[in-house]
Amino acid sequence: MSFAQQSLKAPGYPPEQLGATREPGPAGEVRLAVKAAAFAAGARVMQEAGARFATMFLADRPERSLIAAFALRGELVLLRAPAGGESAVFESIGAWWPAARWAERELSELHGVRFSGHEYPGRLTAPDADLLDRHVSGLDVFSIPYGPVRSGIFEAIQFYIESGGEDVLRIQTRPFFKHRGMEARFAGLTPDVAVHVAERVAGIASCAYASAFSQAVERALGMQVPQRAERWRAVYCELERMACHLDVIAKEAEAAALSVGQARFQILKEQVMRLRSRLTGNRFGRGAILPGGVRGEGMMDLDELLRAVDNIERQLLRDRRMFLGTASMTDRLIGSGRLPRKLVEDYGAVGPVARGSGLSTDARHERPYGNYKRLGLQVVSERDGDSMARVMVRFGELSESLRILRQTIDQLRRRDGELQAPLPALGDGAAFGWVEAPQGELLIWVELRDGRLHNVHIASPSLRNWALFDRAFPKDVLTDFAFIEHSFGLTPAEADR
Amino acid sequence: MLEWIQRGLSQGKVTTRYPRGPEPAPDGYHGSIELLNAKDAPPTLEDVCPTRAITVDVQQRVKLDRGRCILCGECVRRAPERFAFRADYETAARSRSALVLGDWENEQVEPVRQALGEQARMLRRSIHVRHIDCGSDGSEEWEIQALWNPYYDIQRLGFFLTNSPRHADILLVTGGVTSPMRKPLERTWNLMPDPKALVAVGTDACSGGLATEGGKVAGGVDQVLPVDVYVPGSPPAPIAIIHALLLATGRLTPGEVAA
Repeated sequence: MSFAQQSLKAPGYPPEQLGATREPGPAGEVRLAVKAAAFAAGARVMQEAGARFATMFLADRPERSLIAAFALRGELVLLRAPAGGESAVFESIGAWWPAARWAERELSELHGVRFSGHEYPGRLTAPDADLLDRHVSGLDVFSIPYGPVRSGIFEAIQFYIESGGEDVLRIQTRPFFKHRGMEARFAGLTPDVAVHVAERVAGIASCAYASAFSQAVERALGMQVPQRAERWRAVYCELERMACHLDVIAKEAEAAALSVGQARFQILKEQVMRLRSRLTGNRFGRGAILPGGVRGEGMMDLDELLRAVDNIERQLLRDRRMFLGTASMTDRLIGSGRLPRKLVEDYGAVGPVARGSGLSTDARHERPYGNYKRLGLQVVSERDGDSMARVMVRFGELSESLRILRQTIDQLRRRDGELQAPLPALGDGAAFGWVEAPQGELLIWVELRDGRLHNVHIASPSLRNWALFDRAFPKDVLTDFAFIEHSFGLTPAEADR
Repeated sequence: MLEWIQRGLSQGKVTTRYPRGPEPAPDGYHGSIELLNAKDAPPTLEDVCPTRAITVDVQQRVKLDRGRCILCGECVRRAPERFAFRADYETAARSRSALVLGDWENEQVEPVRQALGEQARMLRRSIHVRHIDCGSDGSEEWEIQALWNPYYDIQRLGFFLTNSPRHADILLVTGGVTSPMRKPLERTWNLMPDPKALVAVGTDACSGGLATEGGKVAGGVDQVLPVDVYVPGSPPAPIAIIHALLLATGRLTPGEVAA
């Protein structure tokens, strides 16, 4: 019996006092139902038990409900309260748990859920590029609305910076310039078609999205996926992690005007992109993963793939040594954008941002899925909490990805097997699927009715980490901005959806 | 620093010869969809495509709109006798209608923009490019960034990245244009001096792609501003974008393949 189950079953423990009832759910999910009035108290219990707030959303199963999900010791705890009827007002959780704030704002602005007890400034989901919103006063203080049209080739997002000339006095992230309504786009599609939508929620993490979505469907329908399919998924997802991490490091080198370093990491990234193109026919691995398994064998000889992986590792070791030995590079990273561990915990951050501040949260380790159940995973964590720590986490994970790739390719070489399990045509069910995307833990909730998607919620790592960005400039100046932004390594597409 | 210079030189040259030589896509690359047989199609064929890129007219002839196609391959799997993946990069076109395969009426009358040819002569080989994201999925940005990596090194062809619209000759637009991005897009375009060209990069920019139906995006850049070159693809590969830039500046003509 896990910790979560034990503590939640202990006599007199608050969920029982709150009248929480346990509902059936797939393995790894603890589902609790409470009355709307006890919802916030239930969340408080989770906080006290040491849970990480993951997401909050409206579900339609078994009835119109508000669900909050928490990661607690190897399980996902779902707290559900009915949200039907006009009278449902929830006590704000964001009032005392920063991690819940953006979720509450999104729910109240886009879905009309009412929260009491906390006032939010302005609208998060309807950004206005021209809005001046000064909070810091002083003779020489000026504001810079940076974005949504950025300098360079970047996705649209705005950072409203207030500065006294050098020091960043206050920064406010304004997402949702790119809100495309992707969650609603799933409705009515069959899972095999809907996976194309999932892949396009975050283009740079298509394999992570396809995997998380597929696993959610498979868990909702109680399906098993062939082992060989899980292995190919791990290959695609680790290559994707490598491309994303190499991209971050190349951009850090660019910010420091380290041209050859930038070129070197771009070369490595392009090599990974070309590997993916040869394996799957798409440079982002799209179309390779689908609910029930994978589309087919990778289109490359496994020995050749292994040689390519070895070759990338040889180059990477040398480039990494040189990157870390270049003082003009590391000086910009060390000490900038320092995030204390407590702050990261309060905001429920995930991925390299959390692991750079001493946390060891990694979905592959916390709730192992797919091939990661059969692979030992070394979670890479750094203590310093600065941009350097987040870059070091990525360097460590590049090595770990290469090791996982080699081990998985070896497994693929040794045994043949099925690649797809058939999906029941008229399946019903609801479940979460999760993966550790390159940006952090990704959760996708799916509800299926008669074999078609009914309701989908995406808890993206970027949205959950971005709220923390506003706090990442404790002693930093304007010229640190690029270094800190890249060290977060986030993508607005998935935050805005 | 000397060590970095040695390191840079030790790699040797990795840059593509394109467009002076061909850069073939790897076997099995999903570059575009080919229409093998356009005749006698059942009307239900339209249903295989999640973005309505496939239409069947009253004479049961198929049209395939590459500007709407996200290359998901559902048609290839469900109707392999009619559709196939093609491993090509050069998919850009100078009009929206030229992206529609099987559109017999429109194919010959592709409007060649007179002004664009003249522009290209004026811009010559110092062309400054600016990018604006209007709701992409993020992958198009990666492929545009890749143009400046050593493999594609687009500066050798005289294309430079600029941060100011005031210096820009070409605007690369990604995404189907979400409502908060409509005004910034128009302002950026209006700030650019004439002559100028606009390239819609990716299927989302060409038509809105998968996101169109939710009503949150305009359904393509040409709903807001006139587009000079369309590059379909989800996302288009770097070579496809180079091809589009060469089309926009008149250094290649449609149908002309790099020697």
